[in-house]
Amino acid sequence: MSLLKVENVSKMYGTKRGAKQYQALNQISFEVFEGEFIGVMGASGSGKTTLLNILGSIDRPTNGRVFLGGVDISNLKKRQLAEHRIKNIGFIFQDYNLLETMTLKENIILPLALHGCKVQIMEERLRKLGGDLGILGILDKYPYEVSGGEQQRAAACRALITDPKIVLADEPTGNLDSRSGRALLELLSQINRVYRTTILMVTHDVFAASYCQRIMFIRDGEIYHELYAGDDKQQFFDSIIDVVSVLGGENQ
Amino acid sequence: MKLITLAVRNIKRNFSKYAMYFFTLSFSVFTVYSFLALIQNEFVYQAFTYRERYRTMLIVFGVIIFVFVMFFLISSNASFIRARKKEISMYSLFGMTNGKIGKLLFLEIMLVGLAALVGGIAAGIFFSKLIAMILLDIALVDFTGDITFTFNPQEIYLTALPFLFVFGVMGLSGLRVINKFELVDLFKGEKVSEGKPRGSTLILLLSLLLIGTGYYLAVTTDSYNLIGFALPILFLVIIGTYLFFWGGLPKILSWMKKRKTKYYRGDNLIAVSAFAHRMRSIGSTMATIAVLSAVATTAVATGFNLYQNIERNTYGILGYDMYFYGGQEKLLDDVYSAFENYGVELIADYTTQRLQAKPKLKITLYNGELEYYNSENGDDYFRVYSQSVCNELLALARVNLEPVQIKEGEAVYVRSFWTNVPDFAVEIERAIMAEPLEFSKQDIRITSFLDASFTAFGAMHTIILSDADFANLYEAGDILTGYSSGTPFDQVTVFKYIKPLKSGDFSREINRILSGNVGSYRLAYNHYIESLEVFGLACFIGFFMSIVFILMTASLLYFKQIMAAQEEQHQYQMLRKIGMDSQVEKRVITKRLLPVFLIPLVIGIIHSIFAMKTADSILFSDMIMAENSYFVVLGFSGIMYGVYALVYGLFYFITKHQYTRIVS
Ligand SMILES: Nc1ncnc2c1ncn2[C@@H]1O[C@H](COP(=O)(O)OP(=O)(O)OP(=O)(O)O)[C@@H](O)[C@H]1O
Ligand SMILES: [Mg+2]
Repeated sequence: MSLLKVENVSKMYGTKRGAKQYQALNQISFEVFEGEFIGVMGASGSGKTTLLNILGSIDRPTNGRVFLGGVDISNLKKRQLAEHRIKNIGFIFQDYNLLETMTLKENIILPLALHGCKVQIMEERLRKLGGDLGILGILDKYPYEVSGGEQQRAAACRALITDPKIVLADEPTGNLDSRSGRALLELLSQINRVYRTTILMVTHDVFAASYCQRIMFIRDGEIYHELYAGDDKQQFFDSIIDVVSVLGGENQ
Repeated sequence: MKLITLAVRNIKRNFSKYAMYFFTLSFSVFTVYSFLALIQNEFVYQAFTYRERYRTMLIVFGVIIFVFVMFFLISSNASFIRARKKEISMYSLFGMTNGKIGKLLFLEIMLVGLAALVGGIAAGIFFSKLIAMILLDIALVDFTGDITFTFNPQEIYLTALPFLFVFGVMGLSGLRVINKFELVDLFKGEKVSEGKPRGSTLILLLSLLLIGTGYYLAVTTDSYNLIGFALPILFLVIIGTYLFFWGGLPKILSWMKKRKTKYYRGDNLIAVSAFAHRMRSIGSTMATIAVLSAVATTAVATGFNLYQNIERNTYGILGYDMYFYGGQEKLLDDVYSAFENYGVELIADYTTQRLQAKPKLKITLYNGELEYYNSENGDDYFRVYSQSVCNELLALARVNLEPVQIKEGEAVYVRSFWTNVPDFAVEIERAIMAEPLEFSKQDIRITSFLDASFTAFGAMHTIILSDADFANLYEAGDILTGYSSGTPFDQVTVFKYIKPLKSGDFSREINRILSGNVGSYRLAYNHYIESLEVFGLACFIGFFMSIVFILMTASLLYFKQIMAAQEEQHQYQMLRKIGMDSQVEKRVITKRLLPVFLIPLVIGIIHSIFAMKTADSILFSDMIMAENSYFVVLGFSGIMYGVYALVYGLFYFITKHQYTRIVS
């Protein structure tokens, strides 16, 4: 079943009249199905973050429409958008974006707290999810007291605690060493498998991309290519490398 | 790039951060200049009756304000420089020597300082006439003339030189701060936490105990001992306040965090954790603000109370618009014609003789330690009135006293103003009521007391008898009508007339007539204008001091919040991403900033309420003849607290506006 539907989305930066208009996204259309783990790759400046922001309704497209679960989110009012973001979307960022003034626990329950959830429900969900993510022992610590990997796991926990329809991750492994990076990816795919959570992940890293079931390649604001994971993981990995080298972007 | 260009660019870039600081600086310069200009203004000087006192008060408080401003500037300078740590380390990374960076900061401080100096002095010159008019209006009764604009370059040097000196010191102290910086500070980044907010129940209890003890002493100590207790009370309260902000408030915050149903509501969670997180760096500032707010509000409230109660105080002491004793035969006609000539409408006057009585009596206080009255001692006597004479006297007094009703065999003792000390008064009453007054044919007992010290007319002790007793004693020769030499006692005449406190010319004429020609005379007008000059000036100075205090503290708070806003900016961005809507954001900002401003203000005002209690014991209970003078005092103080809170609130809103602008 289609969860997310993107129709002819374009994004222009700069004022209409200004000479320095820049087209970051150009008529992009695609669909994401429920329970998919999908990757987005592309060279730096190709428009990946822009796309993610639009999907997450942090930014509005200049043209085109985005449907999430059948609802046109480009038409929502400001208040509805905030509500929509809490309920339907979970974010994971490259630099974790935890509030240093709060303990991990407070950081994680923040979306629920903003939503006005009951304390009991918060605690319950936190216990369950925290257990699954292996961070129960460090919940009362502050972000600066734990490692980057642990911070990112807490951030993932925060993204998942509202039980969102889709999790948007922008280079979640970008700041992690390969071991904690791999641990996080294992975690994401486990979440994807166990909770059937739909995940859309932007990454530069071919190894990270190989965890996805499908990869979209973006170039100059357009979808340039798509790859599906087959049964053979090694083969999938190799074909990603091929596309990336053609794209002229980074590789490992 | 030349250093000066860089300095100018830095100032421009940071303008909004330093705007409030700049304004504070300018206002301090303005105040010091204005005081100097007032001192130098010959016209204002001449308008005052008590000129030397006026000049001394202005100089003393001008110096106090200046010292305070200096202290503030130098102590806040380090935190301003530290706030720019990142920028400074950046210069250092790009190869600028410490000396050069120091020079840059010195230039910046000098440029800003010069601008503030020019601005403050310009404002001072521009408003000098207005300021002088306000002062004269507050401090003088019947001032009508026009003030000429005066300007004296000397005032400019006198203001500019000490300020330039302070700026120089600030510039140099900057160099010291820079030398302490390490290059690694740059790479530590902003995400380094200030550390967990630590609080302790012990410190919280200790702080409350200290403050509570201070309050208790302030309320229960009688005015005799208060002077001695003043410093300990100040110490207790000030130390308690700092401890409260260092260790107590963080503890309270951590308790709040435990109340999960409340704490885990989105806006509370964000605001409380952010506030608790900043406690460390802002605790001292908040404590200082609480203390300074207490000082400022107490100062204005005291000034305002004094000012508002001058009239009551005047009549509390003098009782009458005018009275004199001795020389009636020669002078009474002159006085009456003065009323005619100056068109002052006389309501009534009354003349009676200053009679004495010397009953056999010995009164000692505190188990014989202190002799209060002893008839063996030839100098002790009672001023004595019959009930009807006393009631005539009371009727003409400008105080609210019921006529007295006295039974035969009894007498009323008039309290002197110096027996107002509560313990002392109780002891006197006990001693006096214990002993009967022995006259030649009868004894009389003092059974009640009257607060009308103004009827003593020079006597230490005054009694009022029933008309019948008075007649009997007079008959028996117990009431003395003259000295042993045979000269009769003189008479006293009291006057009540329309608009006594506005009759300047008339009063001057009376002074001319009576001065040196009578035993003694008092004019309510004289007392009134003297008090008005002193208290009006005190009010005026208190007002300036409070504004300087508010500005200094508020600008520091503003600055710290703006710095915090810059660090918290990315948090708000993130919060919006996870779904904080703009309404919640507004609430978060309010909850984040309001406590920072409100808690010190509230604590400062509570301190001040207790301080006013001591002011009441020392000053106002004697001045205000009301059932409970403290309530009157609190009423007037309340007005000043309101005004203070209003001005302070303005800074809160400015800060909030800037903060909102930065984080959104
Ligand atoms: N707010 C903005 N205003 C103007 N141009 C922008 C803005 N944000 C992004 N751009 C431009 O749009 C283009 C796409 O940016 P985007 O951040 O989506 O790239 P990206 O694919 O995420 O790159 P990276 O891999 O480096 O993160 C870039 O060329 C960028 O310069
Ligand atoms: Mg990006």
